[in-house]
Amino acid sequence: MTTQTAPVTRSIVTSPITRGARRRRRKPSVFRTLSTALIVVIVIVQVYPLAWLFLTSLRTEHDYASGNPFALPSSITFDNYARAFATGNLGMNIVNSFIVTMGANLLIVLLGMMAAYALQVLGFRFSKFVRGLFLIGIIVPVQIALVPLFIDYASVNLLDTYQSMIIPLAGFSLPMSIYLFSSFFEYIPRETYEAASLDGAGPYRIFGLITLPLSINTVVTVVMVNSIFIWNDFIFANTFVLSEGLKTIPLGLQNYIGAMGKVDWTATFAAVCITITPLLLVFLILNKAMIYGLESGGSKG
Amino acid sequence: MLPNRSRLSVLIFLVPPLLLYGVAVLLPIVQSLFLSFFSWDGISDMEFVGLTNYIHMFTGDTVFWHAFSNSLGYLVICLVLQLGGALIVASLLTSLRRGRNIVKTLYLLPAVISTVAIAFLFQRIYSIDPVGLLNQILGWVGLGNLERAWLSDINSVLAAVSIPEGWRFTGLYMLIIFAALLSVPQELEEAARLDGASRWQVFTKIRFPHIRPVWITTTIMATTYALRGFDIPYLLTNGGPGQSSELLTTYMYKTAFTSTNYGYASTMSVFIVVECLVAVGLIIFTLRRKDEA
Repeated sequence: MTTQTAPVTRSIVTSPITRGARRRRRKPSVFRTLSTALIVVIVIVQVYPLAWLFLTSLRTEHDYASGNPFALPSSITFDNYARAFATGNLGMNIVNSFIVTMGANLLIVLLGMMAAYALQVLGFRFSKFVRGLFLIGIIVPVQIALVPLFIDYASVNLLDTYQSMIIPLAGFSLPMSIYLFSSFFEYIPRETYEAASLDGAGPYRIFGLITLPLSINTVVTVVMVNSIFIWNDFIFANTFVLSEGLKTIPLGLQNYIGAMGKVDWTATFAAVCITITPLLLVFLILNKAMIYGLESGGSKG
Repeated sequence: MLPNRSRLSVLIFLVPPLLLYGVAVLLPIVQSLFLSFFSWDGISDMEFVGLTNYIHMFTGDTVFWHAFSNSLGYLVICLVLQLGGALIVASLLTSLRRGRNIVKTLYLLPAVISTVAIAFLFQRIYSIDPVGLLNQILGWVGLGNLERAWLSDINSVLAAVSIPEGWRFTGLYMLIIFAALLSVPQELEEAARLDGASRWQVFTKIRFPHIRPVWITTTIMATTYALRGFDIPYLLTNGGPGQSSELLTTYMYKTAFTSTNYGYASTMSVFIVVECLVAVGLIIFTLRRKDEA
């Protein structure tokens, strides 16, 4: 700490010079040009595989098999998309993913908000202990739940249902959601609650009339962050779901390769493009909310 | 604390979340611990075997140790790509005046793609027939003798399955670190610059110490995520060829659902949990200590 406080005092004295220095540095410096160029290169490397995925889905099969992979498609075709829809069950997979994502999000938001309300606003004697209990869920890997849940589901006939995916997905996301809601509830001033209490409102009315309406932004954040993981979940779906009719997008895509024997890569890539579109659109539209959520999720921890 | 709350209202708000969490997370942990002392194939009777599973795991099972060292390799590659890459890009981004948001969005893009799609993509990037992106680039820059089928070569397969995981989440950590870097007071940096500090000194003496708490959090996140890594190795190679890309998680999955040896699989999942807890402890211990010194 001592190393940090010393320069602060000095900077107050030198502030006019600092302003001058800032103006001077506005000229394009070598450093800035270099770092801009470097960032452009890094971003291209980062995004190119996805662009390539999309371009490949527009290629003809012959073009894909023989051509240079970096070349632009010699002719654009949408046949791959037609074949992708004809072979797989993409529509149904998307609906299933949607149901699972909605179901899990509903639980995560509602229960996360309730737990955070109990921990942060109501308060009780063992709240530290309960917080610690929820913290375990952030560290523990999801694989520990696979065998026990498989056995439990088999004994209560829950294998191969939507619930079998929703329960662990919601359970493992709950701690982060509680954490985000708690840190938001800290910002609601105590006086608001005290005033409402004096007017005779009980804990349920305060929750419904004050806490819930104020948290809408946090709800969007929590839903966005969790949806990325739930929409793309592979391991729980792969373990607990067997029947074709319940398969979510990741399983449906995986089916592709098996179903066709010799892999039809251009059609598979078309299928990949179709299935990433819904989440990608939401991400691009709401990316401010999502980026904010991811940043605050990490930096407040 | 609200003045008008009753014990009942606390319970009403707390019990439903605890119930879900208990069923999905806490109970399975206890059950795994319990099952790890048994031998069970899911059909015949469970047989109590005491510590046999643990003794076998630590002394008798060479695949386990192989998978453990692979997991550590996977962890190192993921950490270097995710945290190293994130720190470099975030630092460069602070010197950019315009276009920060578009860089953030593009850099985060791979995080929204499902692992199955990523596995397909990288299968083609690494492929040799037809020539994939990687082999094509190597050919162009005159390293054609390095061209190979990256996923079937035992020397390259571990790196090949780790890189997609590193690539996927580096944007997430970059966002977090970038947000932290923005909170470093400008006056501090400018004052240091006036005193003749180089960019490197500004970074090591001012920026990094300032973001250390966030660095600890991201290191913990990246480590625990890498230790539970499963999807991409499982989908790309299923641990092969041989056991050269087998991770603890994929080995445990196969033991449970291919060999239906629930007891031994539970022993391994207990080990994975302990490994995560030890890793988190070590990170906090080493990074905090430097802070105090």
